Amino acid sequence: MDREKLSGNVKLVKIDDIDTDQIFHQSLLTIHNPEEIKPHIFGNLQGFERFGEENHQNKILIVGKNFGKGSTRQQAVTGFLSHGIKAIVGESFGPIYYNNAVNGGLLLIEAPRISAFTITEQDTIEIDFVNAVITNMNTGEKIDCNPVPNPVLDIINAGGLLELGKGAGK
Amino acid sequence: MTGFTLIEKIIKKHTDVLINDIYPGNIVWVDLDLVTARDYAGPQVVDLFQKNYPNSNTFDNEKIIFTPDCYPYGNDPKHAIDQEKIRVFAKEHNIRITDLGSGIGSHLLFRRGFVKPGDIAIGADSHYNILGALGILGQGAGDVMLAFSMKTGKFWIKIPETIKVVLEGDYKWPTTSKDLALYVLKYLHEYGITGKAVEFYGDIISKLSIEDRVTLCSLITEASGVIGFVSPDQTTVDFYDKLGISTEVLSADEDTRYASELIIDIQDLGMYIACPPHPHNVKPIEEVVGTTINSIIIGSCTNGSSADIHNAALILKDQKINSNVRFGLVPATREDFVDINLRGDMTTILEAGGNFFGAGCSTCAKGQYGLTGGETAVTMTTGNRNTQGKIGPADVYLASPVVAAATAIEGKIAIPKIRGD
Repeated sequence: MDREKLSGNVKLVKIDDIDTDQIFHQSLLTIHNPEEIKPHIFGNLQGFERFGEENHQNKILIVGKNFGKGSTRQQAVTGFLSHGIKAIVGESFGPIYYNNAVNGGLLLIEAPRISAFTITEQDTIEIDFVNAVITNMNTGEKIDCNPVPNPVLDIINAGGLLELGKGAGK
Repeated sequence: MTGFTLIEKIIKKHTDVLINDIYPGNIVWVDLDLVTARDYAGPQVVDLFQKNYPNSNTFDNEKIIFTPDCYPYGNDPKHAIDQEKIRVFAKEHNIRITDLGSGIGSHLLFRRGFVKPGDIAIGADSHYNILGALGILGQGAGDVMLAFSMKTGKFWIKIPETIKVVLEGDYKWPTTSKDLALYVLKYLHEYGITGKAVEFYGDIISKLSIEDRVTLCSLITEASGVIGFVSPDQTTVDFYDKLGISTEVLSADEDTRYASELIIDIQDLGMYIACPPHPHNVKPIEEVVGTTINSIIIGSCTNGSSADIHNAALILKDQKINSNVRFGLVPATREDFVDINLRGDMTTILEAGGNFFGAGCSTCAKGQYGLTGGETAVTMTTGNRNTQGKIGPADVYLASPVVAAATAIEGKIAIPKIRGD
């Protein structure tokens, strides 16, 4: 991943308090294969039940606040990686979800003022990590975001947390 | 330099970073006292460990426990296979396992003294932060983190800001700690505590039992908070004394500067219900009284203790469950099962028409109970989540064991009146 910038088309799921049972329902928890997780993403989120069957390759997901609150299930991260989602931008994230995403290699961008950002699914956005700015490439509108902490980038650039563990111990 | 909050003090004891690096927003690595996994996520932890670290030992087999609690005597052959995978791995690495029927891992951790105040423990359970009720930094973690932690003994955490919450006043039966927890959840969700820790204070705290404190801290996750702490006090020390474990009181530094300080007035607090479709959609019981309920579950890490079941038994003594209601109880642990037997509560509730099921996580994590409601039947649980579609296609309400018991008698949401003691 480019450590300075990232850009992509947008998919909007601007709903607050989406919890992990809406992302990947508890009745599916024995599924762990990424390709089998993929079609179920948002299967229990009203209005987005078909998300899992659609093509979201290389898109940037825009969500609301407290995204990913709820359980520890890793599948709620893995499913977006299977879809080829590049990053998720939200006002805020559930703390466990944030850790799981980083550990799995999925970049989350906290943008506290995202709800005031004018954006459509026809737009492309660019995220500038160095200056912590998100730009709507079609309109030129800019919004600030929280800087991505270096330890987080280190884990994501290593290919996820498990890679870091390979040098440890016996 | 100002003093440290409770979470900062615990983190400081578990890391070798400089004291200047302990501040909110910074990410630090900590050494874990305990890593656990259960039958949901645990099998994947085993797979990830074996795939990424073939022929490796764990960092310390005595600091790992498997706690299968989601699918006690599971209803799917896949559950049996998953649990077997955990047992085989545990045996191979000489790791402890609290096997089926032992109960909810997060409760066993304190009930059996596997962790003590000031420790850091992680597990595949988003309510591991209930351990904050005993001054333990418990955190939920996904299977990637757990596999890594079993290999390295390490965990990374973004040090959260801490909010001081003073609970001012007192309340009386039939209001209980669940009403307090729901009221506080509504308040804190509106205030916004995403990614933050909470420390609870107020004269009420010293009157709360360990079970009450667990209930109070169990809904912080539902406000997207990191953890709620009750500073270990004499109640905590006495609890560990009974387990033969010596502990000390622990508190934040006196000159700590909190991110903010809130006072919540709980004087003469009433009873509260979390209404669909979110746990934070909390309303006074008077607003929903009379709502038809068909399926009721008392259980979960929020309200599955013997104290909770005793509260229900006080209401159900010499009463009958409404014929339109299915009433199930799932004690949190084997120890709770023993307690309710000794106290006669189990007989009281069986005679009233309740049904007991093996200790575990009840409705919260599939398996043991999945869909109790059906398309039209409305559910009430004493648990912590009522997300649309989680437990049943129909609506789910969250309430205290006392309210759940009163509701079971009436077949509709009811204000408890009877106390049978």
